[in-house]
Amino acid sequence: MATISLKNLTKVYGKAEVIHGIDLDIADGEFVVFVGPSGCGKSTTLRMIAGLEAVSGGEIRIGDRVVNELDPKSRNIAMVFQNYAIYPHMTVRENIAIGLYTQNLDKEEKARRVENAAQILGLTDFADRRPAALSGGQRQRVAMGRAMVRDPAAFLFDEPLSNLDAQLRAQMRIEIKALHQRLGSTIAYVTHDQVEAMTMADRIVVMKDGHILQQGRPMDIYANPVDVFTARFIGTPSMNIIPSGLAGGPAAGDGGRPVLLGVRPQDLHVGQAAAAGGLTLAGPVTAVEPLGPETLVHFRVGEETVIGTAPATQIPEVGSEVSARAEDAQLHRFDAETEKALESR
Amino acid sequence: MVHPTSSDTVPTHPIRPAPRLSMRTRSALWVWGFLAIPVLFYCVIRFYPTFNAFWLSLTDWDLMSEAEFIGFENYRRMFADPDFWQTFRNTFEYLVFGTPISLLIAFVVAYYLDRVRFAHNFLRALYFMPYITTAAAMAWVWRWFYQPPPTGLINSALGEMGFGQIEFLGSTSNALPAIMVTAIWAGLGFQIIIFMAGLRAIPDTYYEAARIDGLGEWTILRKITLPLLKPTTVFLVVFISIAFLRIFDQVYNMTTNDPGGPLGTTEPLVLMIYQTAFSSYDMGYAAAQTVVLFTILLVVSLLQLWILRDRA
Repeated sequence: MATISLKNLTKVYGKAEVIHGIDLDIADGEFVVFVGPSGCGKSTTLRMIAGLEAVSGGEIRIGDRVVNELDPKSRNIAMVFQNYAIYPHMTVRENIAIGLYTQNLDKEEKARRVENAAQILGLTDFADRRPAALSGGQRQRVAMGRAMVRDPAAFLFDEPLSNLDAQLRAQMRIEIKALHQRLGSTIAYVTHDQVEAMTMADRIVVMKDGHILQQGRPMDIYANPVDVFTARFIGTPSMNIIPSGLAGGPAAGDGGRPVLLGVRPQDLHVGQAAAAGGLTLAGPVTAVEPLGPETLVHFRVGEETVIGTAPATQIPEVGSEVSARAEDAQLHRFDAETEKALESR
Repeated sequence: MVHPTSSDTVPTHPIRPAPRLSMRTRSALWVWGFLAIPVLFYCVIRFYPTFNAFWLSLTDWDLMSEAEFIGFENYRRMFADPDFWQTFRNTFEYLVFGTPISLLIAFVVAYYLDRVRFAHNFLRALYFMPYITTAAAMAWVWRWFYQPPPTGLINSALGEMGFGQIEFLGSTSNALPAIMVTAIWAGLGFQIIIFMAGLRAIPDTYYEAARIDGLGEWTILRKITLPLLKPTTVFLVVFISIAFLRIFDQVYNMTTNDPGGPLGTTEPLVLMIYQTAFSSYDMGYAAAQTVVLFTILLVVSLLQLWILRDRA
């Protein structure tokens, strides 16, 4: 196991700089998830750590070695790809064993490690099958097995669950997390799915346009997003962002600059009467989404559509007027121009 | 409101009579309608003559007189004919040396061309050029290459460098390899394109994963590229083999003075059939040779498919 540290890391393609000098320290045994929209540079960063992309500037350290100029194989890392990259002409056992191909181990030790990995991942019964005879989740496990047998300094995951259906994805999230707890390995994990980031990470790194916007523990990022982008990206449905003036509050904050108010749909309770303090919004319902335990209510406030939650049993009619309320403590305030979070009052 | 059941007041839609044929039958009729012409054409132009050849091979037909059944006389004559065994050997020499050499060169060129970014399309076009050139024209160009100086490029070059001259097309031992080189050259363009398409179809992540796992170039080639390229290779092996078993154009055009010469050392089966049929007008005998060629093609193809089959 090892630490990974990035110092002022940049990546340039031709004339376009896509990673603008990012700094990050991943602790030994830490599970770090890079999350962001397509093209934010998260995969490029991971591929630079893996050695699949050349580093344009800055420094990558794995353990206490600078690895900028090292071949992927010399970095002692393992990587799991979105399309699994397991070989269709090899059996499960052979696919896992290929991770050990170049390692200087005797046959018994290799076989023992492969069996061990297969057993941990529940692949023992499929060991002699070809990937074509496996489900998507099993294929992904084979890819993880190949990574595990190497006993690498760090695991890199590049959107490993994106090709799976929703149910399997939820299951594999738990499995990967359990695996991390079992192995205690350093993991860098890239995804565009904020649910994966929230549920699995020790630390989330939110990226956009080649910058790190924010990093921290999942609940810290959820509770205290530093800007509108992070606030909307983490949490589902996305946080409502409305101009403060529209919400009946003061149009401008301290210093006379316009303010945006953010409130998560879960904190905006539909059907509650106005009261002193907090935020009250009212308007006609445009759509309702009953989820079972609760109902999401979309309603219009001025030009904005806002999402609030109603109890499962109270489903308002589309077109009817509703009012919704959020406690003051649940409100987020952002500068309307910079979209940065303002000091909470 | 109109009551839904009062049909006399509800304007009825003109209901089409239910089609007599099911959807399945109708679409099958359409499909066969379109297929009828090529199927008919194939039956009349290809399959009928093919089966007819089997019959002819048992007769003494010579175009002029009526065909008369003579049993296996043609076959007896053929298997006793040293010329037939010579062409048989020649044909297999083309096959046994031509196929692996073609395959190897085509793969090596495709493997490296796939990595070249500079002038990639130009190079690819260059390699493909021989394939679109008329076989006869190319055979004649190569024929000139092989001539003695000053016409022959190769011997001129050898002379310039102070080496001895080589007799190519006039030599009983060198003529067949010399013609085979031309045939290999002619087929390469197509094979390279097919190999490159096969290489392109292998996802990059396979190679990336292999690099991370520390596999070397040679191991990647042996363990990943070649196995994943197997369907392409199987196709090309069968395709190239059939081409060499049927080799004719290059031989005929490069040895026009004495087709299949010198002394029949370059003569393949197809050329022998051609000579028997259209120089000697011995149609029955030619048909028997055709049947033998047909059998060889069938056996070789099936054998290759069986050897290279996927053992999954």
